Amino acid sequence: MSALFQAAAGSFLAPAFFGFLGLIPVVILLYLLKLRRTQVVISSTLLWRKSLQDLTANAPFQRLRRNLLLLLQIIVLLLVVAALARPFIRADATGGDDICLLFDRSASMQTLENGRARLDLAKGKALEIVDDMAGSDKMMIVTFERGSDVLCELTDDRRRLRAAIRSITASDTPTRVRDSVLVASSLQASTPDLRIVILSDGKIADLEDIGARAFDVSFLQVGATSNNAGIVAFSVRDPLEGVGQRQCLVLVSNDRPEPLETTLTLYLEDETIAVEEVAVPAKDVAEVVFALPDLDTGVLRAELDHDDALAVDNTAWLVLRPASAVKVLLVAKGDSTAAYFLKRVLALNPRVEAGVMEPENYTGRGDYDLVIFDGFAPDTLPDGASVFFNALPPVEGLGEDGVIENPPVIATDPDHPVMRFLNPQNVDIAKARRLVLPDGARPLVSTQGAPLLADVSRGGRQVLVVAFDLADTNWPLRLSFPLFMQNLVAWVPTASLAEQTYVATGEPITIVPTPDATAGTVTLPGGATEAIALDPTRPTYFGNTARAGLYTVQHGEQVERHAANLLDFHESAVTPAAALEIGRSEVAAERDRIRQNRELWRWLVLAALAVLAAEWWVYSRRAWL
Amino acid sequence: MAASTTSGLLEPDFLRKLERLALISKRARLGMAKGERKSKRKGSSVEFADYRDYVQGDDLRHVDWNIAGRLDALYLKLFEEQEDLTLHLLIDASASMGFGTPPKLEFASRMAAALGYIALVGYDRLSAEAFCGDRVFRLPACRGKGNAGKLFAFLEGLDAGGPTRLEESCRSYLVRNRAKGVAVLLSDFLDPAGFEDCLRRLCMSGSDLYVIHVLSRDEVDPQISGDLRLVDSETQAFTEISMSRALLRRYQQNLDGFRSTLRRECLARDIGYVPAVSDMPFERIALDVLRQQGMVK
Repeated sequence: MSALFQAAAGSFLAPAFFGFLGLIPVVILLYLLKLRRTQVVISSTLLWRKSLQDLTANAPFQRLRRNLLLLLQIIVLLLVVAALARPFIRADATGGDDICLLFDRSASMQTLENGRARLDLAKGKALEIVDDMAGSDKMMIVTFERGSDVLCELTDDRRRLRAAIRSITASDTPTRVRDSVLVASSLQASTPDLRIVILSDGKIADLEDIGARAFDVSFLQVGATSNNAGIVAFSVRDPLEGVGQRQCLVLVSNDRPEPLETTLTLYLEDETIAVEEVAVPAKDVAEVVFALPDLDTGVLRAELDHDDALAVDNTAWLVLRPASAVKVLLVAKGDSTAAYFLKRVLALNPRVEAGVMEPENYTGRGDYDLVIFDGFAPDTLPDGASVFFNALPPVEGLGEDGVIENPPVIATDPDHPVMRFLNPQNVDIAKARRLVLPDGARPLVSTQGAPLLADVSRGGRQVLVVAFDLADTNWPLRLSFPLFMQNLVAWVPTASLAEQTYVATGEPITIVPTPDATAGTVTLPGGATEAIALDPTRPTYFGNTARAGLYTVQHGEQVERHAANLLDFHESAVTPAAALEIGRSEVAAERDRIRQNRELWRWLVLAALAVLAAEWWVYSRRAWL
Repeated sequence: MAASTTSGLLEPDFLRKLERLALISKRARLGMAKGERKSKRKGSSVEFADYRDYVQGDDLRHVDWNIAGRLDALYLKLFEEQEDLTLHLLIDASASMGFGTPPKLEFASRMAAALGYIALVGYDRLSAEAFCGDRVFRLPACRGKGNAGKLFAFLEGLDAGGPTRLEESCRSYLVRNRAKGVAVLLSDFLDPAGFEDCLRRLCMSGSDLYVIHVLSRDEVDPQISGDLRLVDSETQAFTEISMSRALLRRYQQNLDGFRSTLRRECLARDIGYVPAVSDMPFERIALDVLRQQGMVK
């Protein structure tokens, strides 16, 4: 049915309303039934009967005339139903509507077109749209890259709109438009005349998960060039089992229609350590692997020596941190079975610096990163990360309600970092406490109706609780036990930080402050500085990472560097998209003026009213001859 | 003589006007003077029957001079042989006659009253009958002005009702009343069986025939509109119509055809046709049209 309609010049936004055509037989029925006649006694019906017979003898035209009212009513119904189905045709926009402008300022918009950035071209188009606005039209401007920003609320103040447009700057971040489109679309429901215009080059990655709906948007496309090559992946691989060298992997993409031959240079700090020739076929990627010298710290920089339209993806940074030791404190009775196994497994991990303490000597975590409690819980939770075996941490809402005998392991939550690669189903447990978890706690391993291992982190502190005594199980003898401990160590913020070599632009940098730091400064790429407040008990996240490059964080005595990279395949493929697939609609790109869906329902309603008036006229003419 | 009886049907002034009129038999117009009519009886002596006031135009040969000398007034002698006029009034009082503003029956009654009065005043015999379907109301034959009261009472007491059966009613009347003279049928002629049989029946009577075709204004110019169910007052049959221009036009055509056909049939049979609508000014018709028709002089 919908295919049939789309074949016609227009199409329908709400074809479900055609179900109302089922009302037509009802109308006919009502018409037949409604003809009630007034009864009049007259002297003789002789002549009337004869006249009637004569009339019906001239049948067809008379019958048609009699049915004129019925016909008109059916026409009115058809028009109303068609109007409800909201037919529309694509027509040139001539103003008269409110516009929600979704402005793309992601990395790909920095692509140079004949010396001008796409962003500037887009700004020009946006200004044109402002100029095209009719008197009372309103516009709102929402910019999007990884996140979205409402730059300007719905307003008809053209000066404000123009100033807002001119103030838009590009960001080095990739494009995520889903949330903006969904919000704008819901606005459209409450503001019927709102037209959504996406002003972009169409390099948008997340449109597929927008849901299967029809969206009424226009796509105004900017840009044309495909002259870009860029680094889309950059990582460092540790040697396996200590054998061999550390390796550096760079992935280069070529969006041009012809193959590329260029040079890739690798720098450590400012010294060149490797140069490779790269040949990338057209519209393809190529991998380059560098062997790295044995180094622990430093900033690696990869640079593509190619003068192309988009510069931001030609450089990438990695910050190498020493694999710092993770200080783990074990608070347990030195002679317990559990303590024995825990000490043994901690000794296995080369990164761990383990300390052991009797429970009665415990005074606080000191400078340990992770505290493991066995059979003992202090009155206050330590900061940072802690794990409680066979003890209840002082977490509000956490309690126990009896004992479970022989609980089998039934369910696990494999998405939690400490549960990676774990398969604890083969662990036998003799008895466990029946835990009552507080709101927000996350059970990681459960038996029937009760958790065995749960994440009860709160307030910036990471806390795990294990409901049983290791001595009551055979877990230490299983493979999942040392894996669990390894995950635990990696879970600690300082440890995870050491593994992170860069963040994607727009994602926040994690800062783990030194115990005495309460404030710090961040130097952005380009030289600007920002002051930040720190809380020594928990990590702080710095979010202003829209620029790609190196960020220097200074807190207390410590100076650390962080890298932010674009590294996005979609953004580096700068060829503008010809159409956007949004939900169920495919929106073709328009280059000059926006074409809008001109809805026809108003005309149909007017026509229905006219026919209704005609029907009333015919009816009264019949009555009064 | 002044009218001794008053009537709701006719105004006293009008009655006086009527007294000056006299019924005409067409046979007399053929040149036969009164008293000189051919008689079927052969060789009979002429027997004196009655006197009548002399009115201008009567034949002077029949004036009784003896009385004239004695009473100083002119009286005419009437002879038995003289075929005196019988006025037969046949009034359709069926249900359809009860319609109209004023009702057709009222108009017909007034006409009948006028004609009857003329006859009575002219010392002609009068016989009247009104048909209401199966029932029949009779005014027995009478003569003389003294019976005017009876005539008016008879006419005023008529009520419309019952179906129209013209042919049957005429036949039954004429079988019982064979005297020749002038017969007047007052009806709307809305008979489902048509009027030809009735007219033919009338022609067999040998009398001078007149038909007064009374219709109501609503029948001539209907003002109804909309979707209606028409009920026939006599047959109770329904006819459902949806009023429209076309239908109305058709009706008018049929009405005109109805009237013209009746007129044509009457003319063909030498029956005088007087069309009337019940809301017409009664006196005008009574005096002018009847004279035109040659019914009275």
